[in-house]
Amino acid sequence: MLKSLKKIAVAAIAIAALTLSGCAPAAETEETKSFGDLSVQLSWIKNSEFAGEFFADANGYYTEAGFGSVNLVAGPAATEAEVLNGNVLVGIANPISVAPVILNEGAQLKIIGTTYQKNPFTILSLKDGANIATIQDLIGKKIGVQAGPNETLFDALLKANGIDASKVTKVPVQYDPAPLVNGEVDGFLAYVTNESFTVAQQGYEVTNLLFADNGLPFVTESFVVTQDSIDNNREALKAFLKATIRGWKDAIANPNEGARLALEVYGKDLGLSKDKEEYQSKTQNEILVQTDETRANGLFTISDAMIALNLATLKAAGYVITADQLFDMSLLKEVYEENPELK
Amino acid sequence: MILNTLVSFAVVAVLWFVALWAFNVKPFIGKNPFDVYKFMFEVPAASENRDMVMTALGQTMIDASIGFVVGMFLATLISLLFSLSKGIEQALMPIAMLLRSVPLIAMAPIIILIFGREQMSVAVMGAIVVLFPALVNIVFGLRSAPPAMFDLVNVYGGNKLDALRTVAFPSSLPSFFAALKISVPGAITGALLVEWLATGQGIGYAIVSAIGRARPSEVWTYVALITIVSIVLYNIVALLEDSVLAKYGHAARK
Repeated sequence: MLKSLKKIAVAAIAIAALTLSGCAPAAETEETKSFGDLSVQLSWIKNSEFAGEFFADANGYYTEAGFGSVNLVAGPAATEAEVLNGNVLVGIANPISVAPVILNEGAQLKIIGTTYQKNPFTILSLKDGANIATIQDLIGKKIGVQAGPNETLFDALLKANGIDASKVTKVPVQYDPAPLVNGEVDGFLAYVTNESFTVAQQGYEVTNLLFADNGLPFVTESFVVTQDSIDNNREALKAFLKATIRGWKDAIANPNEGARLALEVYGKDLGLSKDKEEYQSKTQNEILVQTDETRANGLFTISDAMIALNLATLKAAGYVITADQLFDMSLLKEVYEENPELK
Repeated sequence: MILNTLVSFAVVAVLWFVALWAFNVKPFIGKNPFDVYKFMFEVPAASENRDMVMTALGQTMIDASIGFVVGMFLATLISLLFSLSKGIEQALMPIAMLLRSVPLIAMAPIIILIFGREQMSVAVMGAIVVLFPALVNIVFGLRSAPPAMFDLVNVYGGNKLDALRTVAFPSSLPSFFAALKISVPGAITGALLVEWLATGQGIGYAIVSAIGRARPSEVWTYVALITIVSIVLYNIVALLEDSVLAKYGHAARK
């Protein structure tokens, strides 16, 4: 009842608008496919981590691919739940946070590609403070962890290294590493390409305990979607991948412009630092987004060997899952087959 | 009273089902009371689930009690001061009202910076939530006796303290219990808030965490549990209120 009322209201407004403007809608050409509006749940605040998505939006690649308006939703958020609830078509997450949702809640989610081939997650600490350099140094410390998916990562780090979770105090923090600097926490879950640099830039010597060096190598900034979208909205997902690949190619070609988009357009209210954005934009391209595998097989690729490595990491963290349950790389494969120039 | 409690539960359960249905919530996100029961008692991990939610609930109860006790103690103390001296009341009541209108959530970061992320912040934030509504109620109650009764104490040579003890205190009991009753859910709210923003323990944090990690059954279980506890505690205070007021001859006013 409400729904039909809503439809009538929308129709009435549309008719009114057309009458007022005195013109009929332009007939859509048959070539242009329309997938409606695009919503993407980002994994973090709008900084240069998402340079490629910013380019794809700013340069109109999403529009060209057939999407209407584009809504890039800032994180950190309940990414998997947002995707499952249909609020967004694509969420940006990682295998460690997605797998438990599939295993424990029976959710039908798949990862269809990944931006970062390695993960830059670190436990950041101050050299003059707790100086957490080895995994054993975590014991008895207060670590700032953002609520949500990052907690799953932190649990996995402890589990994979056989550390009893009760021996480490987890403290809720937001994206700002200030609690580390002002001494509220001993360590802070961060990106070595982001907060670590920010804190170092403030004049502190920092220590990083990298997840990748401590039993948790995995891909991240991965595109997670529902099985339902794969089955029923496959072309839209492929269009998203294609446009986003184009965006990331631009981001790789012009890291400073990617930093500028974060600084002046998408994250202009965040008070980002120019030096840090330019550093992050450049560094992520060099060490995280591009590897020998992506140069051979295209961006966002997750090779079979990489999938095996991720599954092994998940197993160490206590999540036994198969490749077919977690990954579906067929869409990306089709995108590259249909658009070989993208490679 | 038990009937009251049962009616409250029934209303909550009906609202729960109706809301899920009316807003067309997807089954993955929106769990109903039966799903919560399954999460607690039927799924393979049920006993771990029970341990987890009970640990969180225990922590929240501790945090809420701290806020409740500190807040009620201060409210009682301050309102006694107010009733002994009109001057103090006139000077401080507006400030109390002002503090009441500052949103706690905006003050939280500064409270955390000053008092840290442990019990001190729990006490401060819990007390702020409980203190002001309780204070207003108790001050009103202490003034509620007819002036003639205070005059009577005066005539017999009693001082202000005598008047407080023999007249103001007994006549303030209904307001005092009203303050206690609103402070129970208030203290729980304060505890949830401080857990979410500062300590990272208890249900206040567990809900946020479980939402972030896409664990809807767990989220609904926490919400159901804290609602049940809130209703039960409220009714226990109401029960206490009835028996105390009856003893002091206030029952007819109910």
